[in-house]
Amino acid sequence: MRLIITDIKELQSAQNPTQRVITDNGSIHSCIGCFGCWIKTPGQCIIKDGYEHIGEQFSKCDELTIISKCFYGGFSPFVKNVLDRAISYISPHFVIRNGEMHHKRRYSNVIHMTVYWYGEDITEAEMKTAQSLVTANALNYDGRVNQVLFFSSADQAREALPL
Amino acid sequence: MNIALINASPKRSESASGALLSDLKGLLPDDQIVKSFSMNRPSIAEEEIKELCGCESWIFSFPLYVDGIPSHLVSCLYQIEQLGIKNQNIYIYAVSNSGFYEGKQNRNALAILKNWCDKMGFVWGMGIGFGGGVALNSMKGVPLGKGPKSMLGSACRTLVNAVSSHATADNIYITINLPRFLYQVLGEMGWRQEIKANGGKRRDLERRL
Repeated sequence: MRLIITDIKELQSAQNPTQRVITDNGSIHSCIGCFGCWIKTPGQCIIKDGYEHIGEQFSKCDELTIISKCFYGGFSPFVKNVLDRAISYISPHFVIRNGEMHHKRRYSNVIHMTVYWYGEDITEAEMKTAQSLVTANALNYDGRVNQVLFFSSADQAREALPL
Repeated sequence: MNIALINASPKRSESASGALLSDLKGLLPDDQIVKSFSMNRPSIAEEEIKELCGCESWIFSFPLYVDGIPSHLVSCLYQIEQLGIKNQNIYIYAVSNSGFYEGKQNRNALAILKNWCDKMGFVWGMGIGFGGGVALNSMKGVPLGKGPKSMLGSACRTLVNAVSSHATADNIYITINLPRFLYQVLGEMGWRQEIKANGGKRRDLERRL
């Protein structure tokens, strides 16, 4: 299954039986750093706002597509919020991967990440950060990076997205 | 000089980011005016932003979230950007702490903050990427610069020197002074205790849904 996380609300209509789309319905709360998704309700966030199952949704996908406005080389507040709320996808236990400490897998699926960054004035430094960030994310998920693409507008990113 | 200490942990108490700021505050010279701010939600009051703009040095302290800065902090930074503040006399410093052992894993979070700083026209002072930050709360009695906080002490002194002289320096990546295997064992022991304290079993830490 493909999981799409995006700050472009119109993409909600791309949802179908093989493709789940997570967009902003205005109800998402920020992660409060309680680790409840690891130690109270393992695998699920304790904040019940409709976004508590994201970690589990990660476990059902082999393709993770992110379409995000680029904020300083990082994800937009909504997209980052979804990623912050998805840490239950991985286990709290540590593992050494590529010589660094990371979290152990909770699930066996391998996530392949494709990220569509968009924004009018993305600088070279921001592109470099964005690229490095996606590589680090994939390593933490023990997944792979498919592609990292940059567009000058949300429309361009949307048009390039195979649906 | 006015110095802003900005705690950007979402936790209202007992945060590693707060513990780091307390340690830093203790090193700042007495003649500096230090003001404390909190960015623990996705927005910040405009009066607070005005007050922040009266400070020449801002020191952010935040936890590493999924290789970057927490989403609520992205929102706050964007809110500040939208106000169109132009002040080339504001220097930005930051301490990013992570549960991972290697301080270098904070590099993308510091880069994001530096990119914001460049967009704002502020000056990037320097950053510290600290690995092993989650252990800080259990080490409140350990003096900065001693034992597991040895490297942290030296990095904090470098940062405070830069802040005091309104200067820039290279980012520093450090880790808690414990062997990695020991940090890993202690961390895993902690998770087992926590899940048991919440009525779960050790194997629940690996539960699949």
